[in-house]
Amino acid sequence: MRIENVVCPFCGCLCDDIAVEIENGKIKSVAKACGIGRSLFMKHDEDLSFPSIGGRRVSLEDAIEKAVDILGRSKHALIYGLSSTSIEAHRKALELAELIGASIDQTSSICHGPTALAVHQTGIPTCTLGEIKNRADVLVFWGSNPLESHQRHYERYSLFPKGMFTPEGRKGRKLVVVDVRQTPSAKMADMFIKVNPGEDYEVLNALRYMLKGGELAASEIGGVRVEDLRKLLDVMLSAKYGVVFIGMGLTMTRGKYHNVEAAISLVVELNAHTRWSVVAMRGHYNVKGAASSLLWQTGYPFGINFSLGYPRYSPGEYTAVDLLRRKEVDCVLVIASDPVANFPRDAVKVMLELPLIAIDPKLSLTAVSADVVIPTAQVGIYVEGTAYRMDGVPLRVKKLLDSSYPSDEEVLGEILKRIKGA
Amino acid sequence: MKEFCLITGRTARQGIALHAGKTTESYEKDVAVIFLNEEDMQELGIEDGMSVLLRTDFGKVVVRAAKGNLPKGMAFMPYGPWANLLTSSNTHGVGMPDLKGLKLYISPTEEEIWDWKRVLEEVKKGEN
Repeated sequence: MRIENVVCPFCGCLCDDIAVEIENGKIKSVAKACGIGRSLFMKHDEDLSFPSIGGRRVSLEDAIEKAVDILGRSKHALIYGLSSTSIEAHRKALELAELIGASIDQTSSICHGPTALAVHQTGIPTCTLGEIKNRADVLVFWGSNPLESHQRHYERYSLFPKGMFTPEGRKGRKLVVVDVRQTPSAKMADMFIKVNPGEDYEVLNALRYMLKGGELAASEIGGVRVEDLRKLLDVMLSAKYGVVFIGMGLTMTRGKYHNVEAAISLVVELNAHTRWSVVAMRGHYNVKGAASSLLWQTGYPFGINFSLGYPRYSPGEYTAVDLLRRKEVDCVLVIASDPVANFPRDAVKVMLELPLIAIDPKLSLTAVSADVVIPTAQVGIYVEGTAYRMDGVPLRVKKLLDSSYPSDEEVLGEILKRIKGA
Repeated sequence: MKEFCLITGRTARQGIALHAGKTTESYEKDVAVIFLNEEDMQELGIEDGMSVLLRTDFGKVVVRAAKGNLPKGMAFMPYGPWANLLTSSNTHGVGMPDLKGLKLYISPTEEEIWDWKRVLEEVKKGEN
């Protein structure tokens, strides 16, 4: 059986044109997906998790009951993850956080959390990927390497597609990449600007100063010749419709949200001359959805605490890495994420010393290390659900196969029901 | 000792390998690696595929060295448990640790590349 228009649950591109061939309850082939997406579909049944307590295989019922016991007794639990599961599961996780007075954080805090902080200050002039496909003639990827992280972005949304007002596709577009190294994405650029590590803020503000008519006394800013900055500004001003794509090169480096504020401010100021937008290159397929669902239900996108019975927001205080570093939580529930593989070592050390519950379809390093593992059916393969593309467009991901395990939403719902009933 | 600037980031190979499983050899091959400028490798006496000991102010790890398209003085590692042995959990009050732009020291070593079990043991020990 061939299923068309399948949505790929890997990155924030959420490509919705994938074709999947199913035979005997397994995925036999995948068409149109990138290398990473193909791997996700073809290896969907490899390295699956199983219900366990203390590394010992148990029944699903026992694993859920143990999780209920830990979470029900906790005084300050950390609930973390969410970016690789559905909006429906986010809602249950949030309800659980409120019920037990937990802190809840999602993977944005070590991804585009600084972008959210910048947006609090500046707002964001943004657009959909559809607008970019149909209108954009100048693309600036700043600290982003889509050929490795969002492999079909150039092809489907930004550089190559022929749109309503972009009939020439690649020929009609200028591509600028700003980065500290010449990435594969930069090799395809019409203009590559190499910035010194940690000096994006200076370069962005130099551009803002020049845009306002300022003459720089220096010949070089942040490793970039001022004459090259002038050329970049001329390209930006020549755009009919320009877009700056913000990557981890801005959010994870010195300056963090200040870098993003400077990038957004530059775009705001460019709008006095011509049309420009900003899009954050969101990583996990539903990290944008996690930020959106928490935002619409609590008013805050990440780093939220419910210990007083109502949501409080404090990045740097209620964000996962900080809570662990300061040893302020007494247990950790991880949903569809792998912080043991992705957090700094001393945050992981604390996590491994606490009761750790992993709800995950795969045997991640968090699941391998967890005291309790609850296997679930992967969203987009075995379960349908809603996810938000990097530009905030919601898409319905499909169910392709049957699973013997429940969904994240069902497991969280069961935990909630049992804690409420206790 | 020469100081390098460590950048961590996504690679396509890492993205492909993680779906096979994070305890698999293919994941280790694609993630327990550091990419360096060719001239820097020559200066350090490191050949492609050799083990190298990496050290920051926050930790150390042994991974495979590989040639990469990088400026002199810059080193690149894929995100993952190996790179995170070198990072700090200090977020400077914003929730985000410094995952790019860390000071790094590199030396050749006879030691074998650490596997994921050794990485977790080192995390639990908590020694830098």
